[in-house]
Amino acid sequence: MRCPIETGEGPELLLAFSSRRLDPDRTAALEGHIAECGPCAEFVLAQRSVSDALDSWEPPLVSSDFDRRLYQRIDQQVPWWDFLVRPFRPLSGARWAPVAAAAGLMIAVGLWVGHPEQTPAPPRTAQVEALPPEQAADALQEMQVMQEFSNLIHTDAPEPRM
Amino acid sequence: MEERVQTSVGGVAAALDYDAELMLRVKEGDGASFGVLLEKHRTSVVHFLYRMVQNAAVAEELAQEVFLRVYRSRATYEPTAKFTTWLFRIATHLALNSLRDNKNERLQDRLDDDSSELPVRQLSDSRPTVEQNMVYEAKLQEVRRAIAALPEKQRAAVLMHKYEEMEYSQIATVLNCSDSAVKSLLFRAYEALRARLAHMA
Repeated sequence: MRCPIETGEGPELLLAFSSRRLDPDRTAALEGHIAECGPCAEFVLAQRSVSDALDSWEPPLVSSDFDRRLYQRIDQQVPWWDFLVRPFRPLSGARWAPVAAAAGLMIAVGLWVGHPEQTPAPPRTAQVEALPPEQAADALQEMQVMQEFSNLIHTDAPEPRM
Repeated sequence: MEERVQTSVGGVAAALDYDAELMLRVKEGDGASFGVLLEKHRTSVVHFLYRMVQNAAVAEELAQEVFLRVYRSRATYEPTAKFTTWLFRIATHLALNSLRDNKNERLQDRLDDDSSELPVRQLSDSRPTVEQNMVYEAKLQEVRRAIAALPEKQRAAVLMHKYEEMEYSQIATVLNCSDSAVKSLLFRAYEALRARLAHMA
């Protein structure tokens, strides 16, 4: 095998060898060469030292609330109507949406064609009838009589205990 | 999980990577698939961004933005490349912008005093001595400084090559340059790292 440093493919080949990314055949051929070639052996040794040093660099653990914060941010950007649709999400996928829309439309048209006269009447608004003044005075007088009668009955009863 | 599957979603006949298929499901309104993608790539995106900007809080904030953009883009998503290529393209773009916005400020502060962000070491059988801890911290600091000293694009290329094990062509797509430009970036970056870190063997 010719020295990869001399052929120009050195860095790429030696880097792949150092990272253990070469196929078995080329690895075996290069191992044989490295055993006899000082510059290549030096390159590989130095590169593996770098690799080991980089391996020792462990980043900190990801925060336990990472997902919660992310979903919170996602929810903040979701339009209000998405919250209404969300409980029906399994049915609201792209496959079902056209079918559901067509079915809904057909039912609505069928109901309208079958019973066009049964459209609901507009709700009646609440009305307060005005009473004539003499009728109101009679009603007040009757209430007063009832009140007096009630007081008369309750004077015989014992007072409630607190 | 199988990495490449024949998709049945969206009528796409070509074989897609599994992540792209999940993203197509997100496009169709399947929120659970977004959760799967988040679970699968959360750590690698946050770690990549952390190694780029070397600040845990900023890295998480940027990672949130990455996934937010993924979610926002669901309606227009087309699987023209590997999902991870698209994902890291967004992440790299945000990281480079962040670094340019904060040049000469945050990074230097972090490198000078950053003990609160050091990871908890996984110990197998015994506690390290104070000396061992000091040696470890010193080495780690040297690695961080060596990476931080690289030009931004070289740094991104090395991180994707080393930690994400991306191919040259994938890195080229992420960085929007040719394969040969990526090779050049990597060779120069590793040359600089060998000069600074080879003695750590």
